[in-house]
Amino acid sequence: MTEHRQRSRRGQGELEALVLSALREAEGPATAGWVQERLGGDLAYTTVITILTRLLAKGAVTRERVGRSFVWTPASDQAGLAAHKMRKVLDGESDREAVLASFVTGLGPDDERLLRGLLGHSRGQGED
Amino acid sequence: MGVFVFLPLVLPLTAWPIARLAEQHLHPRTATRLLTAVAGVMATCSTVCLGLVMVVGTAQLPGNPLPDGWSDPEVRAAVPYDEVVGKAAIPALCAVLVASARALWRHGRVRRRAHRALAGLPGTEVAVLPDDVPYAYALPGGRRGRVVVTTALLDCLEPAERRALFSHERAHLAARHHRFLLAVQLAARANPFLRPLRTAVSYTAERWADEIAAQAVGSRRTVAQAIGKAALVSRGTPVSSLAGFAMPGPVPRRVAALLGPAPAVRSWPSVFTSVGLAAWGAAAGTAVSAMSSANSAVTMFFILYAATPL
Repeated sequence: MTEHRQRSRRGQGELEALVLSALREAEGPATAGWVQERLGGDLAYTTVITILTRLLAKGAVTRERVGRSFVWTPASDQAGLAAHKMRKVLDGESDREAVLASFVTGLGPDDERLLRGLLGHSRGQGED
Repeated sequence: MGVFVFLPLVLPLTAWPIARLAEQHLHPRTATRLLTAVAGVMATCSTVCLGLVMVVGTAQLPGNPLPDGWSDPEVRAAVPYDEVVGKAAIPALCAVLVASARALWRHGRVRRRAHRALAGLPGTEVAVLPDDVPYAYALPGGRRGRVVVTTALLDCLEPAERRALFSHERAHLAARHHRFLLAVQLAARANPFLRPLRTAVSYTAERWADEIAAQAVGSRRTVAQAIGKAALVSRGTPVSSLAGFAMPGPVPRRVAALLGPAPAVRSWPSVFTSVGLAAWGAAAGTAVSAMSSANSAVTMFFILYAATPL
């Protein structure tokens, strides 16, 4: 059960990447129908709309109303989308230091002064 | 059995001196391994004894699974039966199990989500994310461990310092530091007296990666500068602990350690130094802890065996 849910969720991430890359191949704004065609028609039209809406919420695409439907424009690339998702993961985890070994941790009240002193001192030594 | 069943609950206190001294006097690799091993053994023993105290404590509760022979006065006299302690052990053991399960689940969840966020990117070892928040970390697991770093952090580093950053994160992945960190986290949940070991190990693991990076880059000062710059540029992040008031935080201590000479690799410190005394104290505490819990478990087994009409 959980494994099935995981797979489908991972599938969602992959679909988002797929739709975004299709949209990025368009010259100018594209409709959802165009994206669906571009992907070979494997996805239902409503699925494409759902994924585009999700990308919109993540700031990865923008849309504009033309006539009765929307046209979509990519606002970021895959890396931008990944950055957005990663920020959400990190912001959602109050104690992420416990899981991910960050390169640096936060500085205490006196640490900044201490650190500048240490680095300034070492630079002086290095130039000698 | 007697008092022995309670010893492993307080023996983690013998590891406090070494948790305090190891980071200055031992090589970070030795310190990480030693402290993690001590924490792991002590946490296991403490949990086993908590379980035994609970078994004894539930003897008088209705519906307990113990055999009838258990209520024999002779058997009672053989075990350290204390109503209050025994009953207190029930919620304590539940709390330990729940907290450990939550920590494990959380660890898995963060790792899964982070890997999923990177799903659309090519599967290179280093994932550079365009983000104006500076951060970098090692993400273990998945098809392969990955180094995640943002453009904001890379932009403030010189090429040599970037190499230092990548070496540091790769060292975390190669030496599987997340396992040490997870082990001490679970230990700290099993027995709160083991918390100083968790703090110490999360520091020594960083120092270990710093030392490997310093070797790879060939300059201790470059690594120190990379850490310093990264910390100064990301100083908006709130400090998670109040350690800053008592002593300098981990970042200045790491930088200061890198600006000093490389740590010597000693096999085992002499007894006649403070760190040697602390290390031997922790080793003795671990040994006594293991023996007490083994003794208590065996005693309990024989009492149960004798009290069970077969």
